[in-house]
Amino acid sequence: MRALRDALVVAALAVYAAPVAWQALTSLTPEAELLALGRAWPSRLTLEHYRAVLGESPLPRALVNSAGIAAATTLLATVLGALGGYALGRLRVPGRPALMLGIVMSTAFPAVATVAPLYLLVRALGLRDTWWAVILADTSFALPLMLWLVAGFMRELPRELEEAAFVDGAGRLGALRHVVLPAAAPGVAAGAVVTFLFAWNEFLFAYTFTATEASRTVPVALALFPGVFEVPWGDIAAAALLASAPPVLIVVFLQRHLVRGLLSGALKE
Amino acid sequence: MSGDRPLAVALLAPALVALGAVTAYPVARVLALSLERRVPVFGIADFVGLANYRFLAGDPAFWNAVRVTLAFTVVSVALEVVLGVLVALALRRQQRFRAASLALLLLPWCLPAVVTARTWEWLYHPTAGLVSRLASPLSGPANWLGDPSTALGALVVADVWRTMPFLALLAFARLGTIPASVYEAAAVDGAGRVATFRAITLPLLAPVLLVATLFRTLDALRAFDLMFVLTGGGPAGTTETLTILAYRNLFQTLQLGVGAAVAVVLFAVVVGVAWAYLRAIDAGEAAR
Amino acid sequence: MVGASDPLPGLLREFERRHGGVRVTSEALPWTADVQHQFYVINLEGRSAGFDVLMLDVIWVAEFARAGWLLDLSTRWLPADRREHAPATVEAAALDGRVWAVPWVMNVGLLYYRADLLARHGLAPPATYDALADQALRVLGAARDPALAGFVWQGRQYEGLVVNVLESFWAAGTDLLGTDGRVFPDPGRARAALASRRAMLESGASPPLVTAADEELSRREFGAGRAVFLRNWPYALPLFEAAGSPVRGKVGIAPLPGGGALGGAHLGIHAGTPHPDLAWRLVEFLSRPEAQRAIAAATGLHPTRPALLDPALREIFAGARPRPVTPWYQTLSATLQPELSAAIVGVKTPERALADAAVRLRYFLDPAR
Repeated sequence: MRALRDALVVAALAVYAAPVAWQALTSLTPEAELLALGRAWPSRLTLEHYRAVLGESPLPRALVNSAGIAAATTLLATVLGALGGYALGRLRVPGRPALMLGIVMSTAFPAVATVAPLYLLVRALGLRDTWWAVILADTSFALPLMLWLVAGFMRELPRELEEAAFVDGAGRLGALRHVVLPAAAPGVAAGAVVTFLFAWNEFLFAYTFTATEASRTVPVALALFPGVFEVPWGDIAAAALLASAPPVLIVVFLQRHLVRGLLSGALKE
Repeated sequence: MSGDRPLAVALLAPALVALGAVTAYPVARVLALSLERRVPVFGIADFVGLANYRFLAGDPAFWNAVRVTLAFTVVSVALEVVLGVLVALALRRQQRFRAASLALLLLPWCLPAVVTARTWEWLYHPTAGLVSRLASPLSGPANWLGDPSTALGALVVADVWRTMPFLALLAFARLGTIPASVYEAAAVDGAGRVATFRAITLPLLAPVLLVATLFRTLDALRAFDLMFVLTGGGPAGTTETLTILAYRNLFQTLQLGVGAAVAVVLFAVVVGVAWAYLRAIDAGEAAR
Repeated sequence: MVGASDPLPGLLREFERRHGGVRVTSEALPWTADVQHQFYVINLEGRSAGFDVLMLDVIWVAEFARAGWLLDLSTRWLPADRREHAPATVEAAALDGRVWAVPWVMNVGLLYYRADLLARHGLAPPATYDALADQALRVLGAARDPALAGFVWQGRQYEGLVVNVLESFWAAGTDLLGTDGRVFPDPGRARAALASRRAMLESGASPPLVTAADEELSRREFGAGRAVFLRNWPYALPLFEAAGSPVRGKVGIAPLPGGGALGGAHLGIHAGTPHPDLAWRLVEFLSRPEAQRAIAAATGLHPTRPALLDPALREIFAGARPRPVTPWYQTLSATLQPELSAAIVGVKTPERALADAAVRLRYFLDPAR
């Protein structure tokens, strides 16, 4: 009985994820059959879309760009976020409530409006069409959530943790390095996963700051897919699945750590 | 611990500098722009004070955008939270296949927004889309995105689909911290499922939900990609949120001052909402 | 320019060969017209654009000319040379008696129809929109096929909607702007034209999906054999005639009643370019007949010289009409889109929609402000 109910839950979630399956099916359907109404299933499966996408499109290059940008952003945001989150979560920071509001608000300004001045800034600094402009923008926008996650996790760690380190003669920074950070690793890791996803999927800044295929990321390549007028649904579906593969794999394999990391209060019973 | 302060500042400073560098100049620029009548093509760049805001106050398109934005935000977030909690509860009670469930659940969440938009664009295709094919035996051919009475709802569904998993994940993680002994004690006392939920689960979930709802509300208020790709603000402006209205003025009509003013208004709403939430969160924490 | 068979790099290399020591770099812009437009505005406003020659959508030329971003080409592009190009394209490049860009590729709205279905009823392609609606209903009534639709066009809330409604305006003998620059010079005819579009949806001559349709959605419906009439651009024809197409051999083309809208792109020179002469030579090179033929062969974007066109298309292309050539066109269109959409879906009456649009347009266009 229990097993049946459990299986039903899985089935229900499979239905929930059906649109993704539908995209997968579309990516394997021959172009000519895509809009035909008569059939429910394609008569045959084809790899033509994947071949087109991997062979003739800018997608492979975009995958490299996305990987590099997302990795650099995650690294930068994790370092800044871990240190800052520690300060916010465990140290007495002047004006914390206002600071938290400020941090959350700083990235809350509608991006449609700020993108043009940012573009001008990027161009003035000569950073146009480089990875750096996107990395810096993405890192800043990932920081509020990262800071909140890490601070929340850090706040729940027991006081005794550092006190034990002090007794052993370590200073604040030593305690941070050897005791607090390892204990907070799940929270930091969760933040890193979320940041990676954000940076991989980020669109507006990548769109605005990059000019050529040399630096375009995956979401941008996807958005620029159509030709002059046509919308190649099959190719888009294939590209979309390839583009989603890295984040999906990361989340699926790291989900246990993700869950642990989001458990503020896990250590209190 | 007073010696902490310089350390705290030193540790926090890099993050704050990064944030400030990317946000200070653009925000200042947009604020200044909202006070100008600026139409680059015609070389118009005059300081007009609050004239743009006065124009918006009397503009039916602006108030329509406010209504659409609020409707979208409230309905989306409410659905996400309710569904998210239900899914989290179901997952908690699962003993087998939990990893598979979590993997399936998180699939919609880790797709790029562009992919989600394209996927739902295809799903809502009036003749060949999956939604239409399934619904048409019942209601005839469906024109979800082209019908003013269904377009916004269609967008809400797509948005909830994508974001509910994260809320479910947060709730699920939080539920994991409630010891089984608490539930056992409640069962011994004869409490039913609903009563247990109200008295035990909900209060413990509340802080996490409040913060998650804050972030989600801010995101929903500023949602752009979905509307832009699927409907462009139509039909008849029924999916034109404040961000789409800002886009229309900034990018299409090039009335930069008006567009900037719309963005500033939206930002003010966002700040107001965030402030209210943070106060509620702090009050909740003080009570604990 | 897009696609694997992009002719542009070849042309640019050829230009470099002929002008030793010159290097030409090209940058492909994002496809969405609005973002391209913004890109240009941001860069051109800042005086130092970083590019010399730019590809412009036909509807931007007047705007950029007024903004002072384009080099006046009146003395370089001589009247004798202008006559080689379709008159509509030259009209779109002119402002205040001068010319500002050279036509590069051209598009015209046209009517596709199912020749087999029309032949079955002994019908010739319609000469008015009312006849079009009638014919659609007749064919639908006889076919009794629930999957078949009548007249499919672009009714989604975007620039395409303005194009379609403009074509109805022209067929009714009016326009969006009068010769004196007044908005809706003949409100009665404009209202009637808009009402007839709405009527197509109400009568069933057009299917509901039109209100969500852009070029691609409408093209696919017709291409799958599910529509009798289609209004679209010429790019669709080769797709309909491709191997495996359900409508292969069954498609006819005809001019739209009142003329089709002009689309396509021009080449302009940035006013602040440090190399005006070289830039002009590049523009000349890219727009000469051989180049236009090469581009047409590779991309299906048609040349702007009627002499180079397929004779079957010449009559249709000759009927091309530019959208209102005014620096305000973007503003007009963006303001009109929600109002026209409201009329098309029946949320507002055509009178109300046009009246509301006129109020907002007068606010934006009022010179005193």
